[in-house]
Amino acid sequence: MSDANTAAVTGVPGAVVKTEEEIGGGLTPKQAKKLRMEQMSREERAYLRRLSVVEHVWPFFRFVILFGLGFVIMYPLIYMISCTFRERSDMTDPTVMWIPRHYTLKILKETITAMDFWHTLRTTLVLNIGCSMVQVVSCAITGYGFARFKFKGKGLLFGIVIMMILVPTQVISLPLYSQFRFFGIGPLKVNLIDTMWTMYLPALTANGIRAGLMIFIFRQFFRGLPKELEDAAYIDGCGPFMTFVRVMIPNAASSFLTVFLFSVVWYWNDYYVSSTFFTNTKTVALMLQNLDTELKLRLFNDATVEISPREQIVWKEAGCLISIAPILILYVFLQKYFTEGIARSGITGI
Amino acid sequence: MAKQAKKMSYEKRKAMYGYGFLALWMVGTLIFFLIPLFKSLWYSFNEVSIGTGKMVTQFVGLDKYSYVLTVDENYTDYLKDMLLETLWKTPLVLIFSLFIAVILNQKFHGRTLARAIFFLPVIIATGPVYKIINGDMSSTGNTGAAQFSTMFSTDLVGQLLEFLGIYGLSDNMSTMISTVADNIFGIVWASGIQILIFLAALQNIPPSAKEAAQMEGATAWEYFWKITFPYVSPFILANLIFTVIDSFTSPTNTVMGRILNMKEDWKFGEASAMAWIYFVIVLAAIGLITAIVNKFIYYEVE
Repeated sequence: MSDANTAAVTGVPGAVVKTEEEIGGGLTPKQAKKLRMEQMSREERAYLRRLSVVEHVWPFFRFVILFGLGFVIMYPLIYMISCTFRERSDMTDPTVMWIPRHYTLKILKETITAMDFWHTLRTTLVLNIGCSMVQVVSCAITGYGFARFKFKGKGLLFGIVIMMILVPTQVISLPLYSQFRFFGIGPLKVNLIDTMWTMYLPALTANGIRAGLMIFIFRQFFRGLPKELEDAAYIDGCGPFMTFVRVMIPNAASSFLTVFLFSVVWYWNDYYVSSTFFTNTKTVALMLQNLDTELKLRLFNDATVEISPREQIVWKEAGCLISIAPILILYVFLQKYFTEGIARSGITGI
Repeated sequence: MAKQAKKMSYEKRKAMYGYGFLALWMVGTLIFFLIPLFKSLWYSFNEVSIGTGKMVTQFVGLDKYSYVLTVDENYTDYLKDMLLETLWKTPLVLIFSLFIAVILNQKFHGRTLARAIFFLPVIIATGPVYKIINGDMSSTGNTGAAQFSTMFSTDLVGQLLEFLGIYGLSDNMSTMISTVADNIFGIVWASGIQILIFLAALQNIPPSAKEAAQMEGATAWEYFWKITFPYVSPFILANLIFTVIDSFTSPTNTVMGRILNMKEDWKFGEASAMAWIYFVIVLAAIGLITAIVNKFIYYEVE
């Protein structure tokens, strides 16, 4: 159905040429069209009729489908916004569905206090952006190694990368915990749990969150670059490393940005890895995960206070809203790099 | 001869550089991936406890596996549910995302906006946000999908069928439809990346193929099966794998939730055994599907 529009515009080219030769000028467009239709075979007419039906009906259906499904996606967001700016009593008011009866910023302020948001945000940003930058660079280097060099055992090593993509974090998180708990060789052991090193060290060595996928993307991308680039650099006296820095990286700039953005999103949304290694360091995702208890402790100074689950929703939704807000803003401004980037970055070149 | 030797040494030097580029990753993978992976496998055959300065393990053979499969009252149920869910949800996600990708590949007003919206789940669907969205919405009966299914549970479908003179069918029908409608939410929210990958694949279809199809007067249906489908088929497999590994980390994954609980109780042995059973089953399934599907995939010769 995708070709409906363009096909109607082009029509059947053979027919157009024939009529112009035979009739020439002197006829109104309507008459000319009628004549043209008569000269067509039955199948041609049926084809054109079908096209025009599809062309008129399909946009309507397309709109309905996209609008309906778009609504399913936007619904939680709209609900979040609606909940954030209402009073908690509105939750038990059966007449309130979308539009709050009492507008207030109280819930938003309370949630920010409960999540210790500004402090948490700073911690998360430092962790996120730092890890993402380091990981993008390390994954690019690894991906380049896989894409451009021939050496023994490459197949086996790349198999390990595929394993990294497939193995869920949950499988390795337990031993990884003990690895960090007693980190080091022989008697020199340090406890790295609850330090940022638990995130930085894997990122630094291309083993952080979804690193396998990132290596894969970079490998696909660097494989697509022409070999002549490399040869030219070699003739100009660049060693392989300088070739990578001077020639390949400038070419990969947009690819770097896309992978970096995805990495930021993945680190931002991660709560599994960080909840395994962090006990006192709080990230936004972790705070949101524990919002129930935090609310009771910080807002009411009482861990046993009972709030009806329905009324709790306002704080939870507000928490959701403020924790996705930074990513959402990033997405609005850099949407192009998210959606077009992945198409170009070579993930599809499997 | 001398030239030959020099060329060889350049090749060799390049190979050494290859190792050099991978060195950082190799060290990291050994410490943060391979050792933990084997340790986890080892833990699943052991009784694990934390001692001073290291983990204390005591070999118990397959005890943990038999405990997990026969004694633990939740695990097998969760495992069965999850595997079943993966089995029916994955094809639905794939079909849905291909369908949406085909639509989003057409030219119409507001296409950029539509793409931005359909890609939104990738940004926010992972992690606790999705859990809250999912949980809160269903607890208040406010899911977007619930609104759809109210439409069906008022038995519009049944009414229609009765109007057409078909009786008795309607109960089953509306249950089925509302089940699917209830899950629209989950399916839509799980197919962001897949839509994107299919979209990229669709844009790689050469214009000449499209023109040829138009010349021959292909219908949209024929065009889809003869042109679109063969071109995107390699990506179906990639998307399949992506969907499955994404379901591993989904916060609604009950098996993973159970594993997490076990770990919090410091039952490392049991937790590892659970994780490995789940992982191996899914991996075997992926392997099997890959082997079968690969025979039917059309690869463009380059």
